[in-house]
Order: sequence, then C-alpha cells, then structure tokens
Amino acid sequence: MALDLQMPVLVVDDYKTMIRIIRNLLKQLGFEDIDDAADGTEALEKMKQRRYGLVISDWNMEPMTGYELLKQVRSDSGLSKTPFIMVTAESKTENVIAAKKAGVNNYIVKPFNAQTLKGKIEAVFSD
Amino acid sequence: MANMKQENVARVIDFLEQNKNRDGEVSLTDVMHLAEVMSGSMHDFLTAVQPAVTEELTLIGKEISRMKDEISQLRANDMTGNKIPDAGRELDAIVEATEDATNTIMEAAEEIMGADTSDAEAYQELVSNKMISIFEACTFQDITGQRISKVVTTLNYIDERVSSFIEHLRIPEELDAAIEESEEDRRKRELILHGPQHTGEGVSQDDIDALLTDVQADIDKLFD
Repeated sequence: MALDLQMPVLVVDDYKTMIRIIRNLLKQLGFEDIDDAADGTEALEKMKQRRYGLVISDWNMEPMTGYELLKQVRSDSGLSKTPFIMVTAESKTENVIAAKKAGVNNYIVKPFNAQTLKGKIEAVFSD
Repeated sequence: MANMKQENVARVIDFLEQNKNRDGEVSLTDVMHLAEVMSGSMHDFLTAVQPAVTEELTLIGKEISRMKDEISQLRANDMTGNKIPDAGRELDAIVEATEDATNTIMEAAEEIMGADTSDAEAYQELVSNKMISIFEACTFQDITGQRISKVVTTLNYIDERVSSFIEHLRIPEELDAAIEESEEDRRKRELILHGPQHTGEGVSQDDIDALLTDVQADIDKLFD
C-alpha cells in the first residue's frame, strides 16, 4: 500500500487541542484532507459514511475508546483493512500487546514529535 | 442473683405469701412496698458489682471522649467544606490556564505557518509579534506552579490528619474494608485504561517498537 498524501485521514481524540496538534503536524507532512472525531462512536459513524486512508486514534475516550474502535473496525469486513495508528498516553506493555493483537498497524506513545508521527505513518504504508 | 442473701429472699417470699389471696386488688402502696422489698433484696448484689461496672463505664466514657477529640482533630468539616473544594478550584484553574496558553501558542504558530512570506519586512514583524505572544502565554507556568503547590499543601494537610487519626485509633491495615469494584473501575480494567505513566514507569517508544516486532513475530508463529 503506497502512501498517498491526498487520502483522507481521520484523527480521533476527545481533546480538541490534541486534534489541532495532530492536524497541524499532518498538514506539515503534506496531508490535506484531514477529518476528526471526538470518540470511537463518532469515528465509526464517519468511517461508515466515508472511506478513510488512515485512522489515527487516541485510546482513552468516552463512551467508546480507541481500543474498542480498533476492534470494531477490524471486525467489520468493509473497514477491516483501514490502516490504524494508536496515539496514546497508555504506555503499559499490556496496552501495546492488546492493541497489536487487536490489529493495530502502529503505536505512538504521547508525548511524541513530528518525526515519530512521520516515521510511523511511513512504516505503516511501507509494510 | 447468686449474691442475694437468704434473709432478703425470705422477705420477698413473706411478702408474696401475705398477699397471695388479694384477687387482683393491688394498690399503688402494695406496688411501692414490693419495689422496696425487691430493691432491698438486690442491695448486696448491686453493692458487689457496682465498682466493676463503674470502672467499665468510666473507661468507655474516656474512650468515647478520646475518639471525639481525634475526630475533632481531623477537622473533617474544614476538609470537606473548604480544603477539598479549594483544591478542586485550583485544579480547574490550572486546566483552564494551560488550555488558554496552549491555544494562544498554537494560534501564533498557525498564523506564522500560514503567513505570506513574500513581503519579508511584514513577515518579520508578524513573527516578532507572535513570538512575544508565545513568551507571554508561557507565563502560565509560574502561576500554575503556585496553584499546584497549594493543592500539594492541601493533600499533605489531609494526609497528616488522616494518618494521625488512624494511628491514634490504632486501626490495623487488615481492618480496612474491602473495596468493591465500581462500574468505572470495571470499565477501566476491561478496557485496559491506565492513563499516563510517570517517567520510567511506562514503556518508551523504542520499547514499544521492539515490542510490536516481538508481538508480531509471536503472532506470525501461530500461522507457521
């Protein structure tokens, strides 16, 4: 799968400032079509309306967490192939293992920098 | 009743014998007389047990007084009425201040990023002005630092009083009531919600990268 800067990206986070930060970093990396959602439920609704090329999601959100969103996405035949990066403050080993087993493509721990985000996105699309 | 003397038992028996044919005609005087006989018969018993009972009651009274003193030292009303709400207000103010500062800094950065660079002089002036805005916004750190100190002082105040209360009441750890898992706790456990870790406690990005590779290798083995 090639990295296409024109593809729509969905950023999921309940913290508006974090959405703004990731949106700005993605713009700096060359992405133009960036959408956002405040939690897993809203993200899932948006994903059913539109095909996103990449989902970047926080873990800890109400009512649906990023972990639940990931599992829902992977269990939905229409969405299961969507690249999914978890960007979270949840940095316990069991979180990383659970996310990997649920099918996450990459995992970024907060706080992070633009280089890390860029590297992980590139890694997802080079696999 | 074992200590009741025979002569007192005899007085009660005599009284009952004398009045057994009254056919229910009992006057207040009769009742008073019976009470006098009965209390007289109990006198020796009460005299024997009174010091022990008095001593026990005195000890219980002292213990209740000591507990009242310990509870008053807790200053629970001050904690729930003033200290804890004040700490909550300080934390709310910290959240507000950091959010305001973040927004100011991000707005400045966004304006610089989106500015027209064709006019070098105008661009330089814009950058200088926005840099000053960023420096000004960073003053939040001093104020939030002071607010956090106040919250820490409150936590220490509560810790000291509760620790002293536990110590004086000699409450052993094993007597702590079992905590029932709340709905929120259950959600956190099931959805693996730990929140941010302190420095050195969680795993680093490098650890995560290595872990993902290892986990992937383990998953791949399942399909070999």
